[in-house]
Amino acid sequence: MFSKRNLITYAIAFVFILLLNFLLPRMMPGDPLMAIYGDEALIAMTPELEAELVERFALDQPLWQQLGAYFVALFQGELGYSYYYNAPVLSVILGRLPWTLLLVGTSLLLSTMLGIVLGIESGWRRGSRTDRTLLAGLMSLNGFPDFFLGMLLLIAFGVVLGVFPLAGALTPYSGLSGLALLWDVLRHLFLPVAALTLAHLGSSYLLTRNTMITVLKEPYMLTAKAKGLSPRLLKYRHAGRNSMLPVVTQTGIWMGRVVTGTLFVELVFAYPGIGYLTYEALLARDYPIIQGVFLMVAISVLAANFLIDLSYPKLDPRVSYAY
Amino acid sequence: MHIDLKREIKESGAGKTGLIILLLMIAIALAAPILAPYDPYQQSTASLLSPSWSHWLGTNHVGQDIWSRLVFGARTSLLVGFGVGILATLLGTLFGVSAALVGGFYEKVVMRIVDAFIVIPMVIVIILISAYIRPGILTLILLLSLLSWQGGARIMRAQALSLKERGHVAAAKSFGANRFYLAWRHIVPDLGPILLVEFIYGVRRAVFMEAGLAFLGISDPTVVSWGMMMRDALSFSYLNVWQWWLVPTGVALSLIIIGLAFIGHAAEPVIEPRLRGVAIA
Repeated sequence: MFSKRNLITYAIAFVFILLLNFLLPRMMPGDPLMAIYGDEALIAMTPELEAELVERFALDQPLWQQLGAYFVALFQGELGYSYYYNAPVLSVILGRLPWTLLLVGTSLLLSTMLGIVLGIESGWRRGSRTDRTLLAGLMSLNGFPDFFLGMLLLIAFGVVLGVFPLAGALTPYSGLSGLALLWDVLRHLFLPVAALTLAHLGSSYLLTRNTMITVLKEPYMLTAKAKGLSPRLLKYRHAGRNSMLPVVTQTGIWMGRVVTGTLFVELVFAYPGIGYLTYEALLARDYPIIQGVFLMVAISVLAANFLIDLSYPKLDPRVSYAY
Repeated sequence: MHIDLKREIKESGAGKTGLIILLLMIAIALAAPILAPYDPYQQSTASLLSPSWSHWLGTNHVGQDIWSRLVFGARTSLLVGFGVGILATLLGTLFGVSAALVGGFYEKVVMRIVDAFIVIPMVIVIILISAYIRPGILTLILLLSLLSWQGGARIMRAQALSLKERGHVAAAKSFGANRFYLAWRHIVPDLGPILLVEFIYGVRRAVFMEAGLAFLGISDPTVVSWGMMMRDALSFSYLNVWQWWLVPTGVALSLIIIGLAFIGHAAEPVIEPRLRGVAIA
């Protein structure tokens, strides 16, 4: 059962995000038109356009009427117009989204699965040489900022060894198709995915290992052992499965971190996703894009967390009794 | 709560390593004016020099001495880190402990806000705000603190709730101690080790965020920062300058974060006593 408490939490988070996006540009000193539409808009500005823009967000009205206009625009799916790209914000973002989804999805999947397996193995052999090496190694890796890991990989494999492409998601104007195209995409994907996966592997590993160690002390583990089950069954079916539960609750928060991680990593590899778009928009002070990306990212992370909260009682029936 | 944090950290190899790294970095930051042979902001025509006796790590694209900038960058990084660590821990304690002691509607409101902020991805919020206000160091510390005390408040509240029921607190209450006195004399002192762990996490997040924002180019451009140095170095990655420009900077940044992670890991049994003895021996 989903609790009222959670619903309120998400409602507050949602309202905060919308209000921040509404208030910030309007509270800035100077011309709100510039803060809302960006530098580029002022260059294209004609008196007619200005009148139209003021009208659309009710900028000559009191703040609460502006809020109304903002919500109306938002619920019509209107994220604004980028004068830098000369296109609606929504279509600019949607054009870049598949690359980021590919990057985030692959890295999240890889880092979580690898982290769980390593965590189970490490916790099972707790105190052994393997455990200590893995623990020290992955904790150190966890300390490397994702963009620095990205740069190291870029220099090692891209610049020095030259085995992977340096930038982008595709070879431009190559006219590839079919398997050759797939190969090209994978080659460009490899280094950014490696950077993100390595940077986030530590979190799922540490959590699984910690849970594994506490689970191994449970009486039911002793019972299972007494029944004469093989170590393999003990390790994966009895201890491992239970050690995965906290990982599931954290996936939402990690997704948030991997998404924000891509903002930095895409910049290193000039990978044409949402992160690189944000960087370009920051350089050009293209505020409509920045606001659109903010809304999109914040709300999808919220939605993911919400879905995970919803599904969690199904995975662990004990949780539903807790409410 | 009878866990000796000092012992916990000293007895773990990782804790000791972390502590040594951190102290070394603090020493470098404090001694920056002595260690740096040049003014980190002084530009010259001698740009992109290779390392030599006069420029240990060479010079950057505008002829600034990289070693001097590296050393002064430690100041920015640690100042933001410790500033946010202190402020966020204070805020977390204030709201966590008061929620536990006051209870009722106030507690509900505080905790709902805390929960809401935990599910909001902080980095993207900071990027949006920074895109508009381009924060200086002090603003950045304030901003990061305001957005990162919530996790600590949740833990602090849980701890204060359990402390509230202990015998000595009940005894003090029966002698007529008011809530403020109880919080100050009996609850906050017992929170000590948890405060330290929260502080360490806070510092770590802030060091990372400061570098990240500078890397994206949305921090104060007049303050030397490791993130900014890495961003500059990256645009020259086709030359061999990365060896003495990019790598030392990135390693310094990673070292601080790794040092803090090691200390935090050694101190973790304070929050979760069942983990006792699972750290790196």
